[in-house]
Amino acid sequence: MSISPWILPSCLLSSLVLSGLVLGAHALTPSHHLAASDVARLEAVLSQSFTDLQSAYYSIVGLNKLGVSVADTDEACRFLQSNVDPTSIASLFYAAEASQSLSGCEIPVSNETRDFLLAAVSEDSTISQIHNSVSTLSSLGLPLASQEVVSALTSRITKEDNVYAITLALQTAAHLSQQADLSGILEEIEDLAARLDDLGGVYLQFEEGLEATALFVTAAYALSDHVDMEPPLKEDQVIQLVNSIFSKKSWDSLSEAFSVACAAAALSNNRFHVPVIVSALGPATVSHRQPLLQLQVTNVLCDPLTSASVVVESASSVTTKSAILNQSPFSLRDGIFELNFMNSQPASGYYQFAVAVTGDSRLVANHIELKVKVSTEVVISNMDLSVVDKDQSIGTKTTRVDYPSKAKNSFVADSHQNFAMSFQLVDVNTGVELTPHQTFVRLHNQKTGQEVVFVAEPDSKNLYKFELDTAERKSEFDSISGTYALYLIVGDATLENPILWNVADVVLKFLDEEAPATVQTKTLYVPKPEIKHLFREPEKRPPTVVSNTFTALVLSPFLLLLILWIKLGANISNFSFSPSCILFHVGHAAMLGLMYVYWTHLNMFQTLKYLAILGSFTFLAGNRMLAQKAVKRYLRLSTCNKLTSKKGCNLPQGTG
Amino acid sequence: MAASLFSVISRFLEEYTNTTPNKLKLVDAYLLYILLTGAFQFLYCLLVGTFPFNSFLSGFISCVGSFILAVCLRIQINPHNKGDFLTVSPERAFADFLFANTVLHLVVVNFIG
Repeated sequence: MSISPWILPSCLLSSLVLSGLVLGAHALTPSHHLAASDVARLEAVLSQSFTDLQSAYYSIVGLNKLGVSVADTDEACRFLQSNVDPTSIASLFYAAEASQSLSGCEIPVSNETRDFLLAAVSEDSTISQIHNSVSTLSSLGLPLASQEVVSALTSRITKEDNVYAITLALQTAAHLSQQADLSGILEEIEDLAARLDDLGGVYLQFEEGLEATALFVTAAYALSDHVDMEPPLKEDQVIQLVNSIFSKKSWDSLSEAFSVACAAAALSNNRFHVPVIVSALGPATVSHRQPLLQLQVTNVLCDPLTSASVVVESASSVTTKSAILNQSPFSLRDGIFELNFMNSQPASGYYQFAVAVTGDSRLVANHIELKVKVSTEVVISNMDLSVVDKDQSIGTKTTRVDYPSKAKNSFVADSHQNFAMSFQLVDVNTGVELTPHQTFVRLHNQKTGQEVVFVAEPDSKNLYKFELDTAERKSEFDSISGTYALYLIVGDATLENPILWNVADVVLKFLDEEAPATVQTKTLYVPKPEIKHLFREPEKRPPTVVSNTFTALVLSPFLLLLILWIKLGANISNFSFSPSCILFHVGHAAMLGLMYVYWTHLNMFQTLKYLAILGSFTFLAGNRMLAQKAVKRYLRLSTCNKLTSKKGCNLPQGTG
Repeated sequence: MAASLFSVISRFLEEYTNTTPNKLKLVDAYLLYILLTGAFQFLYCLLVGTFPFNSFLSGFISCVGSFILAVCLRIQINPHNKGDFLTVSPERAFADFLFANTVLHLVVVNFIG
C-alpha cells in the first residue's frame, strides 16, 4: 500500500538510466592515427646518423620500439662504447639503454661506476638522476634496492611536482622489483591523468605538449604492465590520447619523434588497452565491378590485427532505413579484411555500416560506424521524342532514339507546337528505375552560343517527361529562332557513368518581330551604369519683378496710414518733452530695432535677454509717461467740468 | 435696391465722420492699414504660391493679430464703453496694447524665418 507509489517513479528512473547507458554506449573512435607512410616517416627521422650519445639513444631505442633495427649494429655499438662517459649518469643511462636494444652489445662497467650509480639513488638527487641510474642499473643487470628507490622517489615527488618529473618517476618504478610497495607511485598515474586538458572532447593532452603526453602514456602503460593493474584511464580517454599523440605527422625534434615511437609501441603492445584503427582501403565504394568492401584493421603502429575477427553487426540503407546485413563476417586476405557486399544485391545509394572488431579483450574503440556507397551504372531506355500540336488536332509522331546515337531528322517546333520528350532511367544490373539528382535537358544554339537548361522531372511511375512550350518559353530563348542541339545530362554521386548525350537537333521558330536585332551577351560582370544622385530641387521662385512689385504693394498701406493720420489731424503738437516720454519713445524704437536685428542676426535666447533689458526700461519710462498723461487728462477733465462754458476746454466730441 | 444701399452707406459715413471722436478715427485708420496689408499678402499668396509658407503665415498672422489687438484697444478707449471698463483707463489699455504687440511680434519675427 505504501510501497506502490514509489515503484512507478523508481521504474521510470531505472529505465531512464538504462536508456542513458545504451545511448552513451556510442563510443569515440580515433580521428587521428598514423598511416603507413607516417610510420615510415617516423622511422626515417629516427634513422638519422648519430651526432652524440643522446641522439644515438633516441635513434636506437626508438627504432627498436618500432620493431626495426639500426642499419649497422656493430658500428652503433662501437659508437656507444667510445662515447660513454662514466662520470655522467645521463651518459651512462643513454649508453646502457641503447646497448640493451642492440643485440650482443655490452657496455663494460667498473665497480666505481656501479657504486657511483647506487649512490645517486637518494633523496638529494633529482628524479631525473634517480631514473637514469635505476634504468642503467636495471639494463646492465646490476642489483638495486627497490625499497630505497621507492622512498627516494616518494620524497622527491612532493618536491618536484611537474609532469616530466612524475612521468620519469613512473618509468623508474617500472624497473623495480614487484615485491616493493609501488602503490603510492601507482596513484600518481591517476593524479597525472587528471591534469590532462580535454580539448573539444577530441584531444586529451598536457599543456606542456605532445612529448609530455607521449612520455606519460609510455610510462603509465609500462608501470601498469609491470604491476599487472589496469591503468585508471577510460576508453574514451585512451582514444583522445591517441588523437593527441598521433595528430602531428612531422616532428620538430628527435626527442619528440622518440616519444611518439615509444607511445605507439606502448599502445600497440600492452596488457590492457589496444586501440583499433579501422579505415577503408581507398574510397568506401562498392559496385558490380568492385564488389568487395576492403577494410584495414590495425593497431596504432599500422600492424594488421590478424587475430581479430571483424563482423558487420548491421548494415542499413540511409534513405529507407531497411537492414541489409546482420552479423556478417569479413574474411582476411593478405592483411586486409574483405566482404563481398554485392552478394546481398543492395540497391544503389548510401549505407550505414556498424562494424565490430572482436577477439581480444584489450581492444579499445572496436565499434565503428562507416558510410558505404553502392554505385551503379545507368542506362537510358525508351527515349521518345515528339512534336505535339497545342490543340492536339494532329496526331503525335514519336521518334524512338537509342543511346548513344542521335536522331536522324531534326524536329521543328513553332509557337503552336510543343516539343515533348520522355524516357526512363534504369539501373543496368538490377533493372530498377533510378531517380538521379541531376537530369537536365540542355538546348544549345551553335550559331549564337546561347544555352538554355531545363530540368526533366519524373512522374509517379518514375517516367521522365520533358515538355518545351515554345510560346511560353520564348523569354528564355530571347525569341531567337534557329537550330538548337538538344543534350541530355544525367549525373549522380552513385552513378559510375554520367551521361552527356546529344539526342537530337530541334529547330525552334519564334515570331520574328520579337527577336532582338543582335544577340546581347549577358553582361553580368561589367560595371553597371553610374547612379547619379539627384539632389532636392529648390522650389520654383517667382521672378524678382513680381516679388518686388508685391513688396511695394504690401508696404503701400503704410503711406496711406500716414496720409490719413495727417488728414485727421493727429495731435503731434501735444508731444511733451519730458525725459520719461523721450526715454519711452527711444526704448520703444530700440525694441522695434531689436526685432529687426533678431530677424537678421540673433536667436531667441539672445533676443529674450535684450528684450528683457529694453522692455523693463521701456516699461518704467512708459509707465511714468502714461501716468503723467493720465494726471493731465484728469486735471483737464475736472477743470472742464468746473468751467463748462470756458473756451479752452478741449473736450473730445461725444464724451459724457 | 442699389439706391437704398447707396443711401445707407452715405448716411453711415456721414454719421461716422460726425460722431466719432478723433482718437477713435486714428485707431480706425490704423485698422484700415492693417487690413489692407493683410489683404495684399493674401493676394500674393493666391497669385504666386505659398513658398515660403512659414513666411506667409507669420506675415498674415501678424496682420490678423495686430488687427485684433487694435480692435481691443479701440473698444477699451471708446468713451461710450466707459461703464464696462471701470478699472481700465485709456492709458492702461494703451500699455496693454503695446505689451501684447511686443509678444506678438516676437513670435512673428521668430516664425518669419
